[in-house]
Amino acid sequence: MKTIGILGWMFLAVQPAIPQDFFSRAQKLLDVVRAEREISPYVIAAKIRTNNDRQTALILLDSLTRDRAIGGMFYCYSLIGAFLYTRDALPDSLHRKVRLAFRERTMYRGDTENHWVMYYTGLYLAAQTWPGEAREMWFNGKSSEENFREAEGWLNHWMHTTFTIGQGEFDSPTYITTFLTPMMVLHEFAADPVMKKKAQMMLDLLFADFAVEHLEGNYGGGHSRDYPEDIINPLGAPSTMWAWMYFGKPEFAQWEEARYRPRNRGGWETTFGALGSYRLPEIIRLIATDRTEAYAHTETKRVRNIIRFGAEKNPPSYKYSYVTQDYILGSLSGGILQPIQQHTWDVTFVSEKPNNSIFTLHPYYSGRELAMFFPEEIKFLADEVDRYHLVYTNPDKWNSSSPFERTFQYRNTLIVLYDIKKGEMQPHINGFFPKTLDERWVDCSGWIICRAGDVYVALYPLRPGAWIEEKVNWRWRSNALKNGVIVEVGSKREDGSFAGFRKSLGKTLIDTSAFDSHVSVRFRNRHGIEMKYIFDGVRLLNGKEIQLSDYGFFDGPFIQSETGSGRVTLRHKTRTRVLDFNKAEIIESK
Amino acid sequence: MMKRHGILLLLMLGFSLTAPAQVSEPTVYASVFSTKLFVVGAANPQTGMFYHRPSEDTVWRHTGAKNIRANALAVFPGSDGRIRYTASGNGLHKTTDGGNNWKITTGWRITEIWAVSLDPVDPSAVYIGTAYGIYKSTDQGDTWKQVFTGFVSCIIVDRTNPSVLYAATELGVYKSTDRGETWQRTGLSIDRTRTVTQHPKDPQTLLVGTEKHGIYATSNGGRTWTKREAGIDHETFYTIAFDPSDPSIVYAGGYATGVYRSKDGGYSWRRTCVGFAVEHIHSIAVDPTDTRRVYAGTMGAGMYRSEDRGENWRFIGLPGAQVGRIVIEP
Repeated sequence: MKTIGILGWMFLAVQPAIPQDFFSRAQKLLDVVRAEREISPYVIAAKIRTNNDRQTALILLDSLTRDRAIGGMFYCYSLIGAFLYTRDALPDSLHRKVRLAFRERTMYRGDTENHWVMYYTGLYLAAQTWPGEAREMWFNGKSSEENFREAEGWLNHWMHTTFTIGQGEFDSPTYITTFLTPMMVLHEFAADPVMKKKAQMMLDLLFADFAVEHLEGNYGGGHSRDYPEDIINPLGAPSTMWAWMYFGKPEFAQWEEARYRPRNRGGWETTFGALGSYRLPEIIRLIATDRTEAYAHTETKRVRNIIRFGAEKNPPSYKYSYVTQDYILGSLSGGILQPIQQHTWDVTFVSEKPNNSIFTLHPYYSGRELAMFFPEEIKFLADEVDRYHLVYTNPDKWNSSSPFERTFQYRNTLIVLYDIKKGEMQPHINGFFPKTLDERWVDCSGWIICRAGDVYVALYPLRPGAWIEEKVNWRWRSNALKNGVIVEVGSKREDGSFAGFRKSLGKTLIDTSAFDSHVSVRFRNRHGIEMKYIFDGVRLLNGKEIQLSDYGFFDGPFIQSETGSGRVTLRHKTRTRVLDFNKAEIIESK
Repeated sequence: MMKRHGILLLLMLGFSLTAPAQVSEPTVYASVFSTKLFVVGAANPQTGMFYHRPSEDTVWRHTGAKNIRANALAVFPGSDGRIRYTASGNGLHKTTDGGNNWKITTGWRITEIWAVSLDPVDPSAVYIGTAYGIYKSTDQGDTWKQVFTGFVSCIIVDRTNPSVLYAATELGVYKSTDRGETWQRTGLSIDRTRTVTQHPKDPQTLLVGTEKHGIYATSNGGRTWTKREAGIDHETFYTIAFDPSDPSIVYAGGYATGVYRSKDGGYSWRRTCVGFAVEHIHSIAVDPTDTRRVYAGTMGAGMYRSEDRGENWRFIGLPGAQVGRIVIEP
């Protein structure tokens, strides 16, 4: 104990200073990245741009152009990005080798939204860099002009889609990197001022979309796609790196604390941000960090491209988040919006400890789900996906979309219903409760009551379950096919004492008389608000029907936009910033 | 033996043999969609178009773009392999000089191509089936027009009348009688069809493989259909091939099927699995120069060949490959 105390004191004594502004954080990042020896375009760019170990950087770049097995969307945009950031410092031989890579490598385009953003950004900048060259000079047999026009056409299409009906891979703590980084490069190097402006607007939009559901480095609420490791430990996601650099949150000395290290490759993609000229508008930083008033925020996104078993290619996807100074309770409306990696709901809370999240899910999988979105042979898809994502068919996985899950949220109250078809492969639901909670018990009223610091979470299971102890969490598993939970979240700031919060649960009313017949529940919450919901049916709030289609594209105190308008308004107190994509124009007032 | 060693030496030295040499043997082309090791965006074993000659045992050479997840291919008949197409997620790749130069003929509006078919007479007419529909080109892929909406797995052009086309789709089997301009559903009530094959001598006779519903046949150009189930214990069929010299012999393969063979034109079937490491068969082709020789492409175990009309099979290369389609050019 004494030893730990001394070590703790020593740690505090040697803890480095926390960088307080973007420039010092960017410098800190570059200091770390430039010391690496990984064959990475980000390491190469950091070394050369900071004039640190240039010789090694040139060797690394040479290696990057030699390995003919590499080729694809990640390589395409990051190679041209590293080249454009460093070209003046490169010898002619490396200019030729980088150029040759775009002739001899197959830059595979991929099959997802983020793949195409990376591929076409890379192709756009490469075609711009080497204009007027014949088709024989390019890996795809198209001339510079053909490649430029194609890339420009798709980038415009994607930006317009994102500004009008939203991203398919929206609000992803992992994949946000694969959108932000290409847009950083595009903004930095697009010669066309209109494309440059649009890239800036995309960066503003992506950051604002993150900011409004951001809390102390966490990307809260529902996510279209995320990896299980990041779902159960939100600050381990790549988005934390971007939050740290651009929002200044969480306030920690990055890289000295293993908890915050992103899962993949050290998260060096932010290097392109540190080297670039894009500066986050102050209004977005304020949106990301001002939590003086709790707020509800709704969004409309789109479902990923449906190619089978659906009448509509991109139906809307609805999202609700309630954001406070201490926690975010957020939810997607449910159903299959994205295959494989969907994260439908959680409460993410501010904590000094890892695994700061609680949620439930139905661990669904099927070839049919995958076939909705992937064109490969249905009978082989689940095995194929398991090879990449490792857990797709696992009954204990922590990410999943499910056709048998629906939600209804109002502020800090959430109803989650499950109506699992008989005969399904995974006939149960799971709940994640981290061991780092300060308190967790099942009250005799039936509520599972938890405390994490000053955040209070209560879940009322509509059917009984059992607890299973695992490494970092308790898994609550319930095997009833008709199932659900009611969630109430509070905090010391909102409710006073934990005892007071627990007592307030006694005021709630749970009516499950129609649950067996209709998977329906009526709930009156601690504040007297009545919510009634039938699985996949009508959502009633104090007797009035809530239409998800009434949700705006963005609707909350900080961001407003009508779906389809192409115009997004950011607000913070007296400041406004209007992103008018139709005119490729930003209007700012203070 | 010396020849084989020579080829292997060239391959080891990194030489790319892009164009098949003029020899008397047929050339076997295979589109490889994936291998067991493929991960999007990573350093991967090669996928794409490969070719091979019967005397080359297990040697296959790659041609064209690497790592493109090739779902299908087409070779213009009689072009000696000069005009070839590979269908992939990146688009439709084309060569007109035997593989020395390739071009992706499609742009961002066309993706996830699962079928490519050529007019046997007019090399300018190309049809592709994608996850989003059928596209037609009348200028060898320079421009495209969408002519059908829906998920398409297979397109064939009637070898006796290029105005007539058939497509196996998620919405059933469709037929066009105006060179793909318009499409009408045939009389088959089954959705989710995966492959359609035309009898080599009777153009009105077609066999269709389906997802979960077995094999169906028509003898009147798609007006009426009957299920062919004698001897069949499986449901999902990705490929059906007639023996071109004796159309009473037919082969079929699909999910966990091994190879089914019929000796009565597809009325009754017998299954063989002798020699296969896996029994998922995605493509079958009969060598027109020696119809005892039959090729089978598997899902995940590469290529197999039979020398005795499908009785026995042996592995002939492309380990781990998911073989989308096989085309044999005499």
